[in-house]
Amino acid sequence: MRLLVIEDDATLRETLTNKLGDAGFAIEQAADGKEGLYFALEYPIDLAIIDIGLPEMSGLDIIREVRKQGKSYPILILTARDRWEDKVDGLDAGADDYVVKPFQFEEVIARVNALVRRSGGWASSIMTAGPVSLDLSRQEVKVNDVVIELTSYEYKIIEYLIVRAGQVISKTELTERLYDQDFERDSNVIEVFVGRLRKKLDPDNTIQPIETLRGRGYRFCLERNQSA
Amino acid sequence: MSSLSARLLISVSVLLLVFFGVTIVVLDIAFREAAEQAQEDILDGHLMALIAAAEPIEEGVLGMPPDMPEPRFGNIGSGLYAEILDSNDVAIWRSRSVVGLEIPIGPSPDVGENLFQQEVLTDGTPLLTLSFALQWEFSDGELRPFVFKVAESLDSFNSQLGKFRRQLFGWFFAIAVIMMFSISFLMRRILRPLRQVETEISEIEEGNRSSLSDEYPTELRGVARNLNILIGSERARSDRYRLTLDNLAHSLKTPLAAIRALLNEHQKPGFEDRANEQIDRMNEIVRYQLRKPTAPAADKLGLVPVEVSTELDRLVDGLRKVYFEKNPAIDIEVDDSVRFRGDTGDFLELAGNLVDNACKWCDSTVSIRVTVAESATGKSGGMVMVVADDGPGIPPDAADALLQRGTRLDESTPGHGIGLAIVQDIARSYGGDLTIGRSALGGAEITVSI
Repeated sequence: MRLLVIEDDATLRETLTNKLGDAGFAIEQAADGKEGLYFALEYPIDLAIIDIGLPEMSGLDIIREVRKQGKSYPILILTARDRWEDKVDGLDAGADDYVVKPFQFEEVIARVNALVRRSGGWASSIMTAGPVSLDLSRQEVKVNDVVIELTSYEYKIIEYLIVRAGQVISKTELTERLYDQDFERDSNVIEVFVGRLRKKLDPDNTIQPIETLRGRGYRFCLERNQSA
Repeated sequence: MSSLSARLLISVSVLLLVFFGVTIVVLDIAFREAAEQAQEDILDGHLMALIAAAEPIEEGVLGMPPDMPEPRFGNIGSGLYAEILDSNDVAIWRSRSVVGLEIPIGPSPDVGENLFQQEVLTDGTPLLTLSFALQWEFSDGELRPFVFKVAESLDSFNSQLGKFRRQLFGWFFAIAVIMMFSISFLMRRILRPLRQVETEISEIEEGNRSSLSDEYPTELRGVARNLNILIGSERARSDRYRLTLDNLAHSLKTPLAAIRALLNEHQKPGFEDRANEQIDRMNEIVRYQLRKPTAPAADKLGLVPVEVSTELDRLVDGLRKVYFEKNPAIDIEVDDSVRFRGDTGDFLELAGNLVDNACKWCDSTVSIRVTVAESATGKSGGMVMVVADDGPGIPPDAADALLQRGTRLDESTPGHGIGLAIVQDIARSYGGDLTIGRSALGGAEITVSI
């Protein structure tokens, strides 16, 4: 998952980047409104965290512009202004949730995870499809209630596929989500990771969770279990 | 033209100029006409005397006795001249005063007619002449035509007119100057209370005076009274701000001290939780003090009504996003005639806290009802907002504690929400109140009436 953090306070931005990086996200960061808007429109972003009070361009204007350009990824507002008027204005502009400063990082991460699940159409905190389940907050994948040991790259790929279960995801899209900043566009690496994931999740080749669509990409094809 | 006195002076000057101008012209014309008439009458008199004195000296010739009725005829260059012309316009007699001068021969009048004319003597003196034509019956019974002509120099007439005009202008100028001076003087006197207002206000600014005095003329008394009210409310407002700031600063010191104390034991387990506890407490204090309404209800009466329904929809749309996963059923019912006279921010703060709490605590259903207050005081336009949920509800003994959070913030234990205390403060600032009850849905029911 690739996150964009637009926050002008350096300490806050660095800490957010570190904590969210620890939580398994790839991060783009911007320190002012104009740079932020550029990233928000031009980069492959899965979720944006936007401070409202920014130099150059206000967070509200960024959100409006992003929505006007047809981007639908979730947006979380960070704001020091916690009047309801300000919250309602932000949500009205197109944000999906807000966190009021001073916040605890755990709270931000929980909100981000919830928004990620929501953007994939999941309603519960643990995403379950057949015998496979994904817990974003623990960065854990289980098959038949057994935790699968994954490397961080493997986890990032399966997380992206499960969140968007049922959708076809191209190799490029996966590559872009895998690395920070200078991503290497070698799709062979993705093939290797997917091959390893298949072995780890399905050693006996009985559930076949990941489908390859030639020339188009991959799809996590197990039926979602929404009641869980 | 920013000065009232200058405006008045300029207007008055223009008026004076027009008024005096017209008056001067009218007076001048009247005086001139009267003077001309008088001049003509005099000439007519001289002419009659001349005709009476004329007698034939021989057949067909008229002559004059050496003793003229008017001595000026006999003095050379006296300015009064006479001559008698025969039918060929040849002067058959001239008064002694004409000697050395040539009176221009103008057209002759018809017999029995007067003819006044302005002419100029050879030396440039302007003349008014009167000619009279008559038929003289001589003793032989023959009628011969003659023209009697008298002329008077207009020098004295013109100098009289000039004198009159000089006096006229002089007097009017003097009057104008006097009027201007009296007007500026009066203006100064009349505007003195305004200057007094200015002085008193700067005294208030300097802190030497608390309000405007009440020794003002009737016209200014209202202004002074309103200014006093404004000054009073501003002072009250700044007192409230100062109090808020004071409370804020002092109440932040305790948690700050606690954090400093905690820093000494940052190695010990639980440090982070305890530090966060203090930070939450500080955050709550800041939130409460910032949210505290700072204007009294009286200041809010003039505000335009809030679009209750629109704002509520905006709020609920936003909250639906926030509570996407919980997805509570939010039921809104707004009476069309509801008016909330106040600040949109206050309304959203009120509704936001209530609906957010309800969404947070509800099991699956939230209901918002906004109706017109059935006011006991007979004043219409009040608003009653009832927000109910189907959650666990608030036990009656906890209700008081919840509402007290704001007032006893220093002692309150940190935790969630001072929302209800904020709502109560806002409601009270609009002269309303908040009550906590149990809803038919099973959970809490908060009623705010304003």
